[in-house]
Amino acid sequence: MSQRMTRQDLERILDNAVSRRSFLSGLLAGGAMAALPCGLLRPHPAQAAQVWEGGYQTFRNACPRNCYDTCSIVSYVKDGVLQFVEGAPESTFTRGGLCVKGNSYVRQVYSPDRIKYPMEQQGRGSGRWKRLSWDEAMDKIARKILDIKERDGSLLGLGLTKYSGNFGITNYGVEGMMSSLGYTTRLVGTPCWPAGIDAQNFDMGSMWCNDPEDLPRARYVIVWGANPAWCSVHSMKYLYAAREAGAKLVVIDPVFTQTAAKADEYIQVRAGEDGALGLGMARHILDLGLLDRDWLAAHAQGFEEFAAYLRDTVTLEWASEKSGVPIERIKAIAEEFAGAHPATIWIGYGMQRHVNGGAAVRILDALVAMTGNIGKPGGGARYGHLQTWGFNYHALLQKQPEGSKGWIGTAGPKGEFDVTGSAGKVTYSDRSLNINKTAQMILETSDPPIRMLWVACKNVLSQDFDRRKMLMAFDKLEMVVVADLFFNQTVEQADIVLPVTTPFEDWTVNASYWHYWLSLNEQAIAPLHEAKSDIQIAAALSKRMNELQPGSCTFATELDSKDWMIREFNKGIYDMFGLTSWEDLRNGPRKARLASSASWADGVFGTPSKKYEFHSDLCARNGHDALPRYKDARPPYDKLRLLTPHHKFALHSQFQNLDWMVDFNLTPCVYMHPKTAAARGIAEGDAVRVFNKQGEVRLAARLTADVPADTLLLYEAWYKGLAFNCQELVDDTSSDMGAYKTGAPGVAIHDQFADVART
Amino acid sequence: MNKQLGFYVDAKRCIGCFTCAMACKNQYHQEPGVVWRQVYPLKQDIYPHAERAFYSLACNHCEHPTCLEVCPVDAYTKRDKDGVVVHHQDLCIGCGNCIRSCPFGAPRYNPVLKRAEKCSLCWQRLDAGLDPACVKSCPTSALMLIDLATFDTPDAVQFPPGFPRAPALNPSTRFRQAELPRTVMREDVR
Amino acid sequence: MIQSMELPLVVFTVLSQLAIGLALMDVLRTTGIWSVSPPALRRQWLVASAVMALGLLVSLTHLGNPLGAPRAITHLSTAWLSREVLLFGLLVILMGATALKGASRPLVWMSASVGLAGLVVQGMVYSPPAFPALNNAVPFALFLITAATLGAAAATWFAPAEGQPVLKTTLVSALCAGLILVLVVPCVWASGGTVMRETAAAYAASPLYWLYAVLGLALPLAVVLRLRRIPSWVPLVILAGAICGRIVFYLDTVHTASNLGGLY
Repeated sequence: MSQRMTRQDLERILDNAVSRRSFLSGLLAGGAMAALPCGLLRPHPAQAAQVWEGGYQTFRNACPRNCYDTCSIVSYVKDGVLQFVEGAPESTFTRGGLCVKGNSYVRQVYSPDRIKYPMEQQGRGSGRWKRLSWDEAMDKIARKILDIKERDGSLLGLGLTKYSGNFGITNYGVEGMMSSLGYTTRLVGTPCWPAGIDAQNFDMGSMWCNDPEDLPRARYVIVWGANPAWCSVHSMKYLYAAREAGAKLVVIDPVFTQTAAKADEYIQVRAGEDGALGLGMARHILDLGLLDRDWLAAHAQGFEEFAAYLRDTVTLEWASEKSGVPIERIKAIAEEFAGAHPATIWIGYGMQRHVNGGAAVRILDALVAMTGNIGKPGGGARYGHLQTWGFNYHALLQKQPEGSKGWIGTAGPKGEFDVTGSAGKVTYSDRSLNINKTAQMILETSDPPIRMLWVACKNVLSQDFDRRKMLMAFDKLEMVVVADLFFNQTVEQADIVLPVTTPFEDWTVNASYWHYWLSLNEQAIAPLHEAKSDIQIAAALSKRMNELQPGSCTFATELDSKDWMIREFNKGIYDMFGLTSWEDLRNGPRKARLASSASWADGVFGTPSKKYEFHSDLCARNGHDALPRYKDARPPYDKLRLLTPHHKFALHSQFQNLDWMVDFNLTPCVYMHPKTAAARGIAEGDAVRVFNKQGEVRLAARLTADVPADTLLLYEAWYKGLAFNCQELVDDTSSDMGAYKTGAPGVAIHDQFADVART
Repeated sequence: MNKQLGFYVDAKRCIGCFTCAMACKNQYHQEPGVVWRQVYPLKQDIYPHAERAFYSLACNHCEHPTCLEVCPVDAYTKRDKDGVVVHHQDLCIGCGNCIRSCPFGAPRYNPVLKRAEKCSLCWQRLDAGLDPACVKSCPTSALMLIDLATFDTPDAVQFPPGFPRAPALNPSTRFRQAELPRTVMREDVR
Repeated sequence: MIQSMELPLVVFTVLSQLAIGLALMDVLRTTGIWSVSPPALRRQWLVASAVMALGLLVSLTHLGNPLGAPRAITHLSTAWLSREVLLFGLLVILMGATALKGASRPLVWMSASVGLAGLVVQGMVYSPPAFPALNNAVPFALFLITAATLGAAAATWFAPAEGQPVLKTTLVSALCAGLILVLVVPCVWASGGTVMRETAAAYAASPLYWLYAVLGLALPLAVVLRLRRIPSWVPLVILAGAICGRIVFYLDTVHTASNLGGLY
């Protein structure tokens, strides 16, 4: 087993040229071996000392990934080397433990695969990388930017795509960097949850969920199209506590997930027909009069119109036929749900990744509202919130240089974390394009075209849709700059790659979109190799820009990351969390002081009417139905439905590439029902290809009745060294909602279809 | 009965998230391929849904450990104070006998050091008053540290299906079995 | 559980069993059935000792840290492996002494007895409960067959014509017993628990197992029965077969840990 690493070991390892073997040997040599060139493999005298020795220096960190749990981390450092991590015990949500991904952070930090210094690819996709100094890299990038400005008279030819790879607040400095250069093209929107955000905004005026820590107070919980056993492991303890207190836990999902296995009842629903099931339940609740009429009278508008729709159009037979759920169960669940006080629905993001996703969320909201469960501790239509994100966004909010020209048109870029408000009176703005159709946008945008793309906190070629189209789009770009940790599928198509820091190597602050804790992220160790955080990269670029053309970039040319973290705090944050200073967070994460664990507890909504709007004119004005009416599902374009949800071993394209993770999860597989397999002569473990109009993917087959016979299931992740990518099969068809609040509609990720055959 | 520490594997609460398995790697940085704690999915003849029920297993700190008995260089000791079976890697000559002999596959071969190694119940953490890394990290309290001298959970078993029955060794791990929900499958596709 | 061929152990066990087999066969010589000149006797026992020594040397390469090998006799109280190391260490010395001291009857009988004890101890070392198919007398039986077949066959290299008949009879008996064992044991396994059944399937599917049955047992048996003597190439074929069989023994015997999560 390995002895703990000393700083000297680490420096010696990193200076050597590099086989992974020698890295490992170096890891183990401790102080006993003299450094040999190239680290020969030799038997080592085992120093039987185990790693845990006490006397560690501890730091506060946070996991900035796109995850409900946003864990508060305690990092244990010795001699300037990160030894191991744990969950912060002070957070009742994190409660001392992370997850399989968080626990692999040490390997991410010290992975031999980490990009060490800026590099330039000699021919995109060639794999021939040449090292650059930071000065050289910034110079090349700056000259290109100035070139674009010269040719087009603006920087609309410079595009940014960034999303959820890192939600640290100071990482919004990337957007800030773009602004500080001029008016640029922004890929806006979110692939993640936009339809549901719009839906909750139309219904209630905001997306605002209860404190998940109040789940134990629920008497009935429906987890609908979400899989917290994989995607929010820290929430599971609250679901268990609710059950132990007598609540019934129901999971509704197209497949038998891990969460389903822990429920009292699992109901298999036809993917994309959650709305029909919800309406069936609503009709039954209405028929039996199990409504909260008082609450509806006081706090809702348009219910009678919705009730009339239910009576006129919705029957249990129809709901059963559409959703595949037996009538008897629809009635039973509806009665149980309406009869329990409080009852709650956890509306999953997977549930709304359909062409009718927004409409489905409105229907589920309606179920919760009509039974009087909005504004109740333990109740609520739980989706997400942004209540704890009221920072200054100092890193984000930068000014364009004087005289910058840009897009003439509607107000500037959004994204769901937009806090800039409507741009109002500006003449120019950034050009906003739909991030969910990035490939299409790059291909068709002109006047000027997107010439240069900056990619940060995103792995476009692993995660964006219609991969084949994306590769064509990249061909059109004159320069691609990617800021990242590893040589992933996007970096493979880059011209210049800039190495970034992990959360342990620089300062920031983190909030969650699910729980209500705030975490400080301290710099626990010095940046490895030549890595820089996103804001340090911005400063370096600004410096070179201004050397070449004074005034061409307003971003600070030198900055202290810790200072910039401090600048994100304001009175609002201090008051919400009861802090006297950001330094309080050094003692541990803090929870927001909430008047109630329930959102909308006072019954005053953020809608135009200040009521819950079954009938929403705002929704209608945005091109949808004013009522939560049924919206048709996407007709299949191939024989089987294709689902590509998240895997428990990865967070999108992060972590699966680490060898520690490979020890527990080796290869991608496609899951199908034994009947589906038998009809195609496929046996367990066979090599198969999944194919549709978009492309194909080759992997191994696994047979399980947990997937219905009309469905194929494979998980999205990036496996190091494997060409596997599920985005070969996913097109960029939009979901219904998302444009209102996030700037672009979402993607019907789970409305894809394919077939499978043995290879 | 003397203090005998062990693991309580609550397959009812366990979600197979592998947090415990990675917590061990996070603590000890084992070589790639060397896994001290593994999370084993129960096969479908035990739990009818594939990869939905699990036993998280490391070392069982048996009363009569095979590893200790068969080791030719006496590189294992069982602590009197808490029954933890500790491997002394500095004594190990890498003969592989413990690896072959343990029915539970607890000892693993470290190909770099060319010695065996296994979970030693984080005995240094224990001595410092801390929980083992795996137990501390479990998000659902499905993996717990127990003392068999005082443990009396009524539905706990020693040899559940899926776990080798080796009464002569008297492993110290206890289990609660996973449960099944009521399932309602679609009527439109069978 | 990832299993390997364990080639050092294959070589060690086969070679040591060959040496023990030679010692056992030499007991027959001491009953007077045949005689060998002292220089030839010395050579015979030196060869046996060398084979044993080579086996022991090769076994060192199995160790991750061979410099610690001398400590392997530390745990005689409970570890069969410690007992094996001690016994075989003594045995190689004893066999060397037998060679150098004219292979007298007492020394030969002592070497043979310690050798037999060695087979018993080896049987215990390689039959832990973790291998259900082998957690019984089968390893000892297989080792005894290897010793008897290799010993009887190789002894003909050193014995004159008078010794051939009894060696032939011994060889034929041992080969028959071996064939029965090799065919019957997997059938018994096939009606056991999961891991035993998997072992039976793995052995049956292994070409090396059938190569052992043919090269190591059936072919020599057919040849010897036909020719009514043991041609000098037969020991080599039996050796090749024995190595194949021993590889299967280490590689294909299924460990209980490989079925964790499944019904036993």
